Amino acid sequence: MKLSPLEANSPDTDMTPIIDIVFLLLMLFMIVINFENSKAEDRTRLPKDGLAKPPEVRPEHELVLNFGYKRNRDGSKAESTPTVYFNDRDVEVGRLGIELDQERRAMEQQYGNRVIDDVTVLIRADADVPAGLVQQLVQKCQQNGFTKFLLRAMVEQK
Amino acid sequence: MKFKLHLPPDKFNLPLAPMLDIALLLMMFFVLNLKLVTPQGNLDLNLPISAPNLVQRADVNLTDIKVGLHSDRNGVLTELTLGSKNLGNDDAAFDRLNREILQIIGRPGNPLTKDVEIEIDADFETQYRYVAKAISQCTGRIDAQTKQIARYVEKIRFAPPHKPKA
Repeated sequence: MKLSPLEANSPDTDMTPIIDIVFLLLMLFMIVINFENSKAEDRTRLPKDGLAKPPEVRPEHELVLNFGYKRNRDGSKAESTPTVYFNDRDVEVGRLGIELDQERRAMEQQYGNRVIDDVTVLIRADADVPAGLVQQLVQKCQQNGFTKFLLRAMVEQK
Repeated sequence: MKFKLHLPPDKFNLPLAPMLDIALLLMMFFVLNLKLVTPQGNLDLNLPISAPNLVQRADVNLTDIKVGLHSDRNGVLTELTLGSKNLGNDDAAFDRLNREILQIIGRPGNPLTKDVEIEIDADFETQYRYVAKAISQCTGRIDAQTKQIARYVEKIRFAPPHKPKA
């Protein structure tokens, strides 16, 4: 009597559902991911407010000014004076006039002389920044021809 | 003579493991780079903030509401005022401000108060969080039933800035 050894039957796993799920997750993360430069966002701790609403329509011409403190890894302030994070550099409010003038000229060169009336200055100021410095920032912008302003805050969800 | 018929195999086994490896690597990349951002919104300021050389307004019949924020040297709020009325300095002070504004205008969206302006007068050191909250409470409130924003006053401006405390 011949007995043939039993062959181990390895179950064939159907990989199709696994691949489907993996690709679905991959597509989800590809859609959700945001590669924008968040260095400016990390340093500015916006005040929270229940009435702050996400803009329905983004302004056509926008100038974003991030005003906050350089912070250490633990979140404490590295410097006592807040600075404006503008064009990848830290600029004090008092010296912002030159930068704003250059920005205005660049915008006028690109879009025409009347563009300055349509530019919205979006101020993202840290909650701890003195209000007087925010007002100085606004005045600097006004001196350079900017007239529209928006203050950004985090949406407070109750 | 025996002829062996070589037929192509019925099944073509595509190795799926490398594809799954690549897909998982890509997914790990996107998961690690994902940043969960808290939603942000704007506080609308419909008036340009007081320019340094402000021309005196000829129409003095409009009621202007003055909100004062006073603070200590560290910027912590010590007093919130509406005109000459002291509303306190706790979290409820801003709720009182909201109710007082509503009393002044009568009801949200009142067309008679379309041109009413609110002037925010804050000490230099006052932390921006208090100013933002004051602006928010003057702008309106969220209706508890409809969950929509009920607008009070849309024209808000800053008073000329004060000097830092010596």
